[in-house]
Amino acid sequence: MSYPHSHKTVFVLDHSPQLSEPSSQPVDFDIFNKTRGPGIIPLAPVMKTLWTCNVEAAVEYCRIVYDLFPTQKLVRFITSDTKATLLNSWAQDEQSVNQLMLRFATIGQPNVRQNQKNCSIMHGLGQAVEILCQPTTKQHEIRTSFTEEASTVLNRGRIICMTLINSDAHIRMLEDCVLDTLIEHNKLTASSDNLIPIHHCELELIHVVPYGEKSAVTSSPRRELSPLLASETHVTQSGRYVAIRLVELVQKHFGLFSTTVTGIPMKEEQNASSSANYDVELLHSAEAHGELLKSDKEGMIVPSKEGLNTQTVALKWCTPKSNTIELQNCTGAHRITPVDVYSRPSSCLTNFLLSGRAVMLEQPRKSGKIMSHMLASHGGEIYIHILNTARSILEDPPSISEGCGGRVTDYRITDFGEFMKENRLAPGRTQPRDSTLPIDKSKSQLERMTRLWPMVIGDTIIFNMLSHLDPLPSLIVKEHLDNDEVLECKKAIYHVVGMESRNEPLPVPALGTRGKGPKREEQYRQMWAELESFIRGHVSSSSQHQKVLECLLECRRPAEDGSKGKKQTDKGSVKEEKMEIGETDLAVKELERYQRLTEREKHDLNKAEKSSPDSPPAKKFKGKSDLISKPSAGPQSLLTLWTNRIRATHAMRHQEFAGRLQSSGSKAELYPHMNEENGGDPASGAANTGMNINKNIKKQT
Amino acid sequence: MPCVILLDVSLSMSRPVLECESYQRRNLAIHGINVLLDHLAATNKLEFVSLVVFSSLWERLVPFTRDYDSIKTALNNVEDYDKTCIEPALAGAASVIVDEWGSAVPSQVILITDGNTGLGPSSLKHSLQTIGQRSGGEDRFSLPFTFPCKLHIVTISGSQDPELQTSLNMFQRLIDINGQGGQLFVPEGSLSLKSVQQMFRELSEKYFSPLLRVLRCGNLHCNVNVFPAPTDYDRPHDFQHVYKELFREIAICGFLDISDVASPPFISRHLVLPTSSTREKPEELKVDSEKGEAKEDDEDDTVDGRTPAFTVLLHGSLKVEGMVALAQIGEGWYGMLYSWADSKKKSNLMLAVFEPGVDSIPWLGELNHLAPMSSFKQSPYGEEDNKTPFPVRPPDRRSYSQNCVVWIKQAGLQADIQKILRHARKLPEKQLQFYKELNRVRRAALSFGFMELLDALSAMLDRECTLLPGTAHPDAALQLSHASNALRSETARDYAQNVVPLTTNFSSGD
Repeated sequence: MSYPHSHKTVFVLDHSPQLSEPSSQPVDFDIFNKTRGPGIIPLAPVMKTLWTCNVEAAVEYCRIVYDLFPTQKLVRFITSDTKATLLNSWAQDEQSVNQLMLRFATIGQPNVRQNQKNCSIMHGLGQAVEILCQPTTKQHEIRTSFTEEASTVLNRGRIICMTLINSDAHIRMLEDCVLDTLIEHNKLTASSDNLIPIHHCELELIHVVPYGEKSAVTSSPRRELSPLLASETHVTQSGRYVAIRLVELVQKHFGLFSTTVTGIPMKEEQNASSSANYDVELLHSAEAHGELLKSDKEGMIVPSKEGLNTQTVALKWCTPKSNTIELQNCTGAHRITPVDVYSRPSSCLTNFLLSGRAVMLEQPRKSGKIMSHMLASHGGEIYIHILNTARSILEDPPSISEGCGGRVTDYRITDFGEFMKENRLAPGRTQPRDSTLPIDKSKSQLERMTRLWPMVIGDTIIFNMLSHLDPLPSLIVKEHLDNDEVLECKKAIYHVVGMESRNEPLPVPALGTRGKGPKREEQYRQMWAELESFIRGHVSSSSQHQKVLECLLECRRPAEDGSKGKKQTDKGSVKEEKMEIGETDLAVKELERYQRLTEREKHDLNKAEKSSPDSPPAKKFKGKSDLISKPSAGPQSLLTLWTNRIRATHAMRHQEFAGRLQSSGSKAELYPHMNEENGGDPASGAANTGMNINKNIKKQT
Repeated sequence: MPCVILLDVSLSMSRPVLECESYQRRNLAIHGINVLLDHLAATNKLEFVSLVVFSSLWERLVPFTRDYDSIKTALNNVEDYDKTCIEPALAGAASVIVDEWGSAVPSQVILITDGNTGLGPSSLKHSLQTIGQRSGGEDRFSLPFTFPCKLHIVTISGSQDPELQTSLNMFQRLIDINGQGGQLFVPEGSLSLKSVQQMFRELSEKYFSPLLRVLRCGNLHCNVNVFPAPTDYDRPHDFQHVYKELFREIAICGFLDISDVASPPFISRHLVLPTSSTREKPEELKVDSEKGEAKEDDEDDTVDGRTPAFTVLLHGSLKVEGMVALAQIGEGWYGMLYSWADSKKKSNLMLAVFEPGVDSIPWLGELNHLAPMSSFKQSPYGEEDNKTPFPVRPPDRRSYSQNCVVWIKQAGLQADIQKILRHARKLPEKQLQFYKELNRVRRAALSFGFMELLDALSAMLDRECTLLPGTAHPDAALQLSHASNALRSETARDYAQNVVPLTTNFSSGD
């Protein structure tokens, strides 16, 4: 793990009267008079002060930091004259250029009426050390966490001091001042809970001389003054040079590198019909060129074109051809910011990207084209994406159709597509009272919705007749059902009961050319069995789901047991009567009302069914193994005709085992009330069926 | 992951084995390599292997290939050379990998040698002694590898070899210097065909077996082989060391549109291939492959090919709908599944592994805060599926998407002044824009302590006033002199207080 110095940066700006000296670099601002004819004398150029140039440069440093690292890289400002003034805190909401601009406006120019002798940069440096001892939110978080890192967190930071320096002795004095304060404060922090000692600090002294002047002191390279402090001195001219120096420093401090996008076609401002090519230099984390920086084989690293003393990678702009969105083989993405954000080419490029287009960048190589990067914006931030250019170890992969399950042709692709759309994710917030993470809710929703989800068309009947079952399949998978929804589900069940009573064909996948497949009765049996296990899968969700299952079981009973069903409920135990009587009444009413209503619907339905694409042919039908199903398929021989007839006669005399009659599938549960005695859930479907069997037996005896 | 077999072909490798005189050490090594290749052919047919031989020089005999027979053939024609020089050999293996795969693909190097580490300045001992004295650049010690790579060292040496213990210490040091995993293998007991075979089998099974996982979407699931095998994440980050283990399951959490995930960065990509339930164990596989390729394919057709597999369904739907599935692969670690097609239009299911952490894709927001769309009162995708809740926008805007002011270059200031002038000449129509720009420049000047500019601007507006043509609207002159005076006043120095237009008889009319 690393504790970078760049986590905490403190700018100390000299705000004493000497900084209100002019920078000696004039700014021509009145230059647009050429077209207005002679006789206009341009206004005299204005001069920025040293202070103005320093503030501009420091704000630019921050602009780059905040654009590239919105969090975790914090910058604070101190101005120093007769006393030190803090402009912002470590808090995230005070870390923005707009905030800074506001604070600088409040501070204003250096006050020339102050006595220079009473002013000192030392006030600011002392204050800088003090605030480096204050933990940031992130540091506080780690220190108070119960992890191994808590005790090992290293507090490192950097002080950038912009002032005027008289002599080398002055430098020593400033360094000693910082070092002494450091040692002193580290002692103080030992007795404090809120402060942390500084483990290492980098001091960057920047001496600014007016443009064109010579400096009495010279730049000196980095020196380790003590295990706690390293110091480096930079001397620069004011005007735009101080800004250039700070851009170079920000690249060094934050591990940045630059990319120049070359050959961007842009319409001329004056002459919209012609276009010229421009270059725009961007800054980003050096990781974006990790591969290239390790070995620059083809000389792609060139000196910066923006006048910086740094290097840049020149990549060629490729005009995007279409708006098709595809997934790129992207191994990294880093935020970018233009070096010169205020220039027209820069804003043209950024606006183009912010409008949602993506631009590929090409490495100019002798051997063929290589797209190595892509620029694209996401949510108002522009990123440089690194595209993989090396050979992929995934080349020549097996096709999915060659693997397991590859030969199956009747997957429910469209249905699963719908399923995926229903299970899309969206950014949510955690409710304070809710301890479940939203992503876990997503997972449990997937679990609910897949309790019965046949993958191929041939494995299911109910999912091939969704138009008849709507809205039951989409409702039953919900976590909670209200009364209306239960009613809707019941309606759907009655609808299918209606279909069965009208003996309408089910969209069962045909068995192929030979044979007729299972008989219609058999199809309905299978359909009911599948529907039951589908609903049963959700019974545990709530008692409302239970009601839907009860309705289904209720409806199936008359179908298999004739008129006995009604009597049974009459004879049922008091408890069950209470629970079910309302339901049964309702159910019967519903059914009647429904059958009255359906005359026209039936017509529509039949019409719809003829043209319905709901039942694509499947090659093979795989029913659930059925204990009493007859061997199907094949033309009927005389023998089968005969046996069928004999069986039918026998069946008339034979009393079917009551349990099997009542059971949901073809298997009957034996001794079902054992569960009840053992404290099993009496509301569960299985126990319910068991009670009916019990009643049946009573009646027979 | 790609693998370089780095075989010692120095003269010492042709020493006969004491226990069975008919074999040289080299024969044993080749036999061992064949064990590894057979293992790959049976379980992990997609691995790339390259053969590099070395003595004082190194040579790439077979470039990376999946045709393991070509390596076997090459092994039969290996000749004897001079002495063992391990350091340059490792550098050779590294360059073979980087040239082929770049420095991002995790790889493995198997150094096979006899425990004889050479003599004099080219010996491993000398290399290790001078390691502290190296400068960077060309002179750098070849370890640790500059790309993710395991280093295995296999010794073809009997345990009674007197020099072995010193060599083993040095070998272990090499593995430690590389520090990216790998193991030192020594044959158990005496040096024989059997012990070497056993050693290579251990290596194969531990480091070259397919990674079997379960792909799960609620109750739908499928056994899968993830290739190349993803590794646990173990890297230092700022402020903490991140160690994440992969779960046994790849659990789908939900789905996203391709346009919403928008080419997210990932640390690795893996094919997700369904495995049939009957053929999970490598041992069984071996039996299969011995019966011959044709037989195996035949079986695929009859059983595996026709049993529905969830991966195929998922792949088909992802492809048709243009979507990806977000999947959790570890604690706070996510990836995405999508349909990927190579240049030959053969498509398959791919898993892209994101950087660990819930904030690895900023524009998707925190990944563990992604909720099912059903949990929103109004569908975040709109009633007609015409909206999207992505991208998630950061709380503040970047400098290039807001109206910041940078006057470091003269041109920036000039452009701003020009804008004011342009509006000034079109007063009173452009009154609103004129004051807006004026205030913007004024505020920036205050921030930068650039008071000289306010006076200059004031003077310029005065001049513009005198230059107004006779046809100009009378309001223009009034506004210009009002603005000019305002810039000179004390209130202009208040950041919060804007210079507001003068209310005139002309402006009140509309």
